[in-house]
Amino acid sequence: MTFSNSNFPDKEGFYGEYGGKFVPETLMYALEELENTYNKLKDNKEFIDEFYKDLSHFVGRPSPLYFAQRLTDHYKSGSIWLKREDLNHTGAHKINNTVGQILLAKYMGKKRIIAETGAGQHGVATATVAARLGLECHIYMGAEDVRRQSLNVYRIKLLGAHVHPVDSGSATLKDALNEALRDWVTNVEDTYYIIGSVTGPHPYPMIVRDFNSVVGKEVIEQSKDLFGKMPDAVVACVGGGSNAMGIFHPFIDIKETRLIGVEAGGEGVSTGEHAAPLNDGTPGVLHGARSYLMQDESGQVKDTKSVSAGLDYPGVGPEHSWLKDIGRAEYVAVSDDDALKTFHEVTELEGIMPALETAHAFAYLEPLMKELDSSANVVVNVSGRGDKDINTVAEIDGIEF
Amino acid sequence: MNRLTSKLQNLKENNKKALVAYLVAGDPDLDTTLDLMHLFVDSGVDVIEIGVPFTDPIAEGPTIQKAHDRALKNNISLKMILELVNRFRETNTETPIVLMGYLNTFISHIDQVQSIGENSADSILVVDVPGELNLQTYGITNPNINTISLISPTTKDDRVESIAKNSTGFIYYVTLRGVTGSSNLNIEEIKNNIQKIQQYSDAPTMAGFGIKSVEDASTLAACSDGIVIGSSIVEMIADESKTKEFGRIGEYLREMKTAIS
Repeated sequence: MTFSNSNFPDKEGFYGEYGGKFVPETLMYALEELENTYNKLKDNKEFIDEFYKDLSHFVGRPSPLYFAQRLTDHYKSGSIWLKREDLNHTGAHKINNTVGQILLAKYMGKKRIIAETGAGQHGVATATVAARLGLECHIYMGAEDVRRQSLNVYRIKLLGAHVHPVDSGSATLKDALNEALRDWVTNVEDTYYIIGSVTGPHPYPMIVRDFNSVVGKEVIEQSKDLFGKMPDAVVACVGGGSNAMGIFHPFIDIKETRLIGVEAGGEGVSTGEHAAPLNDGTPGVLHGARSYLMQDESGQVKDTKSVSAGLDYPGVGPEHSWLKDIGRAEYVAVSDDDALKTFHEVTELEGIMPALETAHAFAYLEPLMKELDSSANVVVNVSGRGDKDINTVAEIDGIEF
Repeated sequence: MNRLTSKLQNLKENNKKALVAYLVAGDPDLDTTLDLMHLFVDSGVDVIEIGVPFTDPIAEGPTIQKAHDRALKNNISLKMILELVNRFRETNTETPIVLMGYLNTFISHIDQVQSIGENSADSILVVDVPGELNLQTYGITNPNINTISLISPTTKDDRVESIAKNSTGFIYYVTLRGVTGSSNLNIEEIKNNIQKIQQYSDAPTMAGFGIKSVEDASTLAACSDGIVIGSSIVEMIADESKTKEFGRIGEYLREMKTAIS
C-alpha cells in the first residue's frame, strides 16, 4: 500500500513551479534527514500498520460520511453529505497528521516536539500525541490567537505542553510559524517540528498531505457504499490547506468530482481585508515554499483578516497553488459575515456546531447548490467542531458570560 | 573586478582580516543609515552589510527582527535601499556593499537587481536560499553582483564543496545553530569546520552569528578571513535612535578592528 496516487512533488519538492525548500542553511540537514526517514518508512508495513492502528483506536477512524437531511431540505436541491472530521479525537482533522508525524519523530529518536498553531487545534493535536509518548512539547501561538482561542490554550497546557505567545508582526499564525522555525534552527539536533498544514519547506507539504489523505480515501469508499458513485463536488475550507488537501488528493485523478476550496474572504475579497491568497494573491516565497501569497509590490507579506484564526494566514500550501493553476481545483472565498451566519444555520439545522473555519466551506453551499444539478451529491469536509469558537461567536453576538 | 572580491583579495595579500559590519537600512531612517555607513568606514569597517527589511525574517533573533519592523514602518523597499547605496557611492567608491535579505524581496524587485551597475551594491546574500542553489535560477544573473552562500555547523561534508563553488563573494560560515544574536559559540567546532571549508575552496571565509565580544572576535578572526558583526551594532543603533549620538558604535568597531588585527 502506498500513500500517494500522484507523482508530485518532484525530487526537489516542487509542484509545478510551487513548493521547494527555501530555508536557512542550518535546517537543510534536518529536512534531508526527515525526507530520508519518511521515504524509508512510508512503504514499510510495520510503520503503516502502526499509523492505521493509531488512527482506528486513538483517533476513532474512520469518521462517518453523514447524510445531512435538513441541510439538504434547506437548499431544496441535491444531496449534502458531511465528512465528520469533527468527531475525531481532539475535535478536528489535525490529529491525523500529528499521529503520523509523532511516529516519524519516534523513529528518528527526537526527544523534543515543537509546533505552531493558529486556531489552536493543531496545538491541541500536537500536545495530545506528545503527551501520549511522554515527549517535551512547545507550542508557538500568535498573541492575538492566544486571546481569541483561550479555551484551546488551556487545553494545550492541561496536556502538559508549553505555550509560547508570539508578539512579533501581526501576532497570528504566520508569526507563530516564524518563531517555531527560529526554535527549530536553534534546537535542530534533538527537536522534531510538527508542521500543522500542507505548508513549509519540502518534504512537509507532502508528508502532511499523505497522512491526512486518509480522509479522502475514506470518502471514496463511503461514497461507493452510500450512493454508489463518486461525489459531484467536494467542498473544504482552505487556510494553509491541510484539511482540503487531505480530502482532495485522493480525488485528483477522479475527474468527475469537482474540488472546491473555500478561502477566508474576511471583509470581502474586494476590500483587500481578507486571507484569500488564491483569490487575490500573487506567487511569492514565505515559510520555506513558493506559493500564492498576500504581498505588496515590495514583496512584503500583508496582514490578513479573518474571523477564523485557523484561516488567518497570508500563504497557502504549494500544491493548492498548483491545482489552481492547472485548473484541477477551484478556489472561492466566503466573507466573515456569511461564515458566521452559516455557523448558526448549520448548528440549528443539523445539531452539528462547525468550527468557524469549517463554516466557510458550508457557506459556499448556498451558491453551489443552486448551480448544481438536483441529483448532485456534494461532500462537505467538516474539518473541525466549533466548541473552541464559542467565545468568539458570543463576543460578536454581544453576549457576556 | 568586483569591488568585494578585490577588497578581500587585497586584505588577504596583506595578511589582514576583514571586519564586516551589519545594519538594517531605514532603521531608524535612511538618512541616519547613510551617516552610519560613513561612520562604519571611518571606524575601520572593510565591508558593509545592509539588511534588507522583510516582514518575516526567520533567521533573525529578536534584536534584528525589531530593526526590520522599525524599518518597515518607514516603508523601506529594496528600490529605496539601492538609491541609498547610490548616495553613499557619491563620496565612497571603495567600500564593498553586501545586501542581505530574504528571497521574496529580491525577486519582487528583479528588474532593479538586474540593473545594478558597477558603482552600486556589490553582492547579495539571500538567507533563505540553501547554499547549493544558484541565484541564477531566480533570475539574478547580473554580472556586477556576486553571491554569498552560507555554510552552517549542520552542513554535511558532501554539500560543503558544492556550496563553496556557488559562492563568488565569500563564504559566510554561520558560527552557531540558531538565529542572529544568539550566544554559545563552540570555538573548537568553528575552527574545524572553517578548516574543512578551506580545503574545498579558495574563497574567503567569514565567520558570523553570535560574535559580540572582543575575545570572540580575536579568536574567530584567527581561524577565518574575517568576522561579521550584526546584532550588537543593531542594538546600539536602537539605543541611540533618538539622540543619534553613535560615538559608542565607532568606538566598538575600532576595538573590534584592533582585536582582529
